[in-house]
Amino acid sequence: MSSTPLTADAAQPSPLPESGSTLASARKSTAEVLICLPALTPDALPYALQSIAAAFPNESVLVASSHALENPSEFPTLDLIPYTSARSDVGWILAAGDYSAAAQLALEHNARAIILLGGDTAALSHPNALDPNLLRSLIDCLRTKNVDLVLPRFSIGPNDALVNSALLYPLSRALFGADIRFPLPIDAAISARLARRLVSTTQRLMALNQGSSLLWPVAESAAAGFSVRDVTCQAAPPTPPPPATQADFNALFTSIAGSLFNDIETKSSFWQRARGMYAPSIQPSSPPPIAELAASPEIHSMIETFRIAQDNLQEIWSLVLPPQSRLALKKLSVLSPDAFTMEPDLWARIVYDFALAYHLRTLNRSHLLGAMTPLYFAWVASYLRFVADDPARATHAIELTAAAFENEKSYIVSRWRWPDRFNP
Amino acid sequence: MGHQMAQQISAALRQSIHRIVLVLASFLPGILAFLLAVIVFALIGWGLSALVRRLLIAVRFDERLAAREAPGSTGIITEWSPSNSPTVLAQRTTFWLLLLAGIAVGISAFDASYAEDSRYSIFLLPYVAHIAGAILILLVGTLVARFLARSVLIGAVNAQLQYARFLSLGIKWLVLVLSAAMALDHLQIGGTVVALAFGILFGGIVLTLSLAIGLGSRDLVSRSIEKTMDKTPTPRPTEVPLRTDTETPPRLRHF
Repeated sequence: MSSTPLTADAAQPSPLPESGSTLASARKSTAEVLICLPALTPDALPYALQSIAAAFPNESVLVASSHALENPSEFPTLDLIPYTSARSDVGWILAAGDYSAAAQLALEHNARAIILLGGDTAALSHPNALDPNLLRSLIDCLRTKNVDLVLPRFSIGPNDALVNSALLYPLSRALFGADIRFPLPIDAAISARLARRLVSTTQRLMALNQGSSLLWPVAESAAAGFSVRDVTCQAAPPTPPPPATQADFNALFTSIAGSLFNDIETKSSFWQRARGMYAPSIQPSSPPPIAELAASPEIHSMIETFRIAQDNLQEIWSLVLPPQSRLALKKLSVLSPDAFTMEPDLWARIVYDFALAYHLRTLNRSHLLGAMTPLYFAWVASYLRFVADDPARATHAIELTAAAFENEKSYIVSRWRWPDRFNP
Repeated sequence: MGHQMAQQISAALRQSIHRIVLVLASFLPGILAFLLAVIVFALIGWGLSALVRRLLIAVRFDERLAAREAPGSTGIITEWSPSNSPTVLAQRTTFWLLLLAGIAVGISAFDASYAEDSRYSIFLLPYVAHIAGAILILLVGTLVARFLARSVLIGAVNAQLQYARFLSLGIKWLVLVLSAAMALDHLQIGGTVVALAFGILFGGIVLTLSLAIGLGSRDLVSRSIEKTMDKTPTPRPTEVPLRTDTETPPRLRHF
């Protein structure tokens, strides 16, 4: 099974796009579901279409793809239309350009439910990489529960998606009142109503040729008063291999954390006003009894990074963190690796302080995020020790962290309004 | 005899005072013209900068500029603006440009009014430009030194280098010394001495390091290399196997 490009390409003229478009136009009144595929290789496209056909056996579906099939009759219920996926700064995450293009297509074809699929193209290049159950559950939730945004809650191990557990999920939950486990989605299902809003939201970015920027749909929906849900998915997320070098990690961390802080800054008037949308969490019950992990070499390595930073980055941290936090970090740095524990409320305040410094441009933003990395490693070391490879304890630790962010929300609101109060 | 001597001294003093008064009389108009030009231009600058500020606030310049910056971008203009406001930056730039123009006009006026002996003004005018250039070099050098020092410090800390601060300080002083040497060279102070001193200093540092490593720390270096060769690579805190006691070790994934 092979395919040809659907996008307009002068070097590779293809007669198929027109036929695909014609087919789509002919059926656009019947197809309510639009699925936008990432830039898959021509060989991987049939696998993805098989999964879509399996998910929607009795329904006509519009599939937006960068390639066309040579034999479209193989999938009679699927209508392929041309679409160019925008590659985000982070690669496998959906970009603003993806949301914009999908929303435009949805409006053009009167689609009422849109699924955007992202993920690493290499991870999606084998059969059954795309889970039909995920597609079905996304659409079912969107239709039956009258929700505007549905995101998958992938099945991950206790030591996976640590940036998400440390930063993205707690911040999203505390500031935007959205209990969505993965607020920076790989895949997403959106309603036509949200699509219309996203067209206007992404318009400015597209005009500035910034389609590869990250977009935070959960915050966007929360700010617009739209409903958001996530659905459990047994499959693992189609993420790429981990970054090979420290520089790659730093670039990714800076890109994601910077984008999140920027979104928090943009929506500050919303989350400062949003009273009653959250209640400070009650502390979760005690974790399942299990011996904490003795410090392994990688935990030692993270603690070492933190200690070097504690010795060397005081000048920078003093611009960002109030004295109480710096004192707590000093105490933390002298703990032995087997007793190394960063309290969730300390971590929450640190993150809030860095978000504020990002807003105030206290120092160069790339320096700021670089200076935050050792503190993140300290949190990871503490988390890994606590979790000890146990999924139940991981859930508990993430819940504790998120609860701390909710309880400390008043801290960020105060500091945002009166930044100098804590730094005499 | 004594009376004649007193008269001669008195005449000499009178002549000296006369000459001083003459010099002052010819110098003062120039100074006054200079001060007047500076004050007038400063006042114009103050008025114009206030006008620019009002105008930019009226057209919501900061918001428009922020809207044009992509989310997540550093926003270079805003980043370098005082109080993070490009409006304030434009206001202050207007004021200082006019003040500098006032100084230039003042020097020209000084030159014109002190035309009897233009040696000073001819010497002074290009030298003021040199001083301004040297100050600019020092200012840029200080900013670059600070930026590079922080970049190196953060990069070295994240790379787990124990001597991060030492490295950062080294970079900072390297750039500062370089910019100071450039400023002195620009002012034509010291002539070739500065270049020579700079060359000797840097050559000396490199030679010292080479000798230190080649002779003094020979054993230390060889031990360090042997240790690195023998040692299992230390796991970096990015993406590493978490456990090695199982067949398929769970991995630590940050993203």
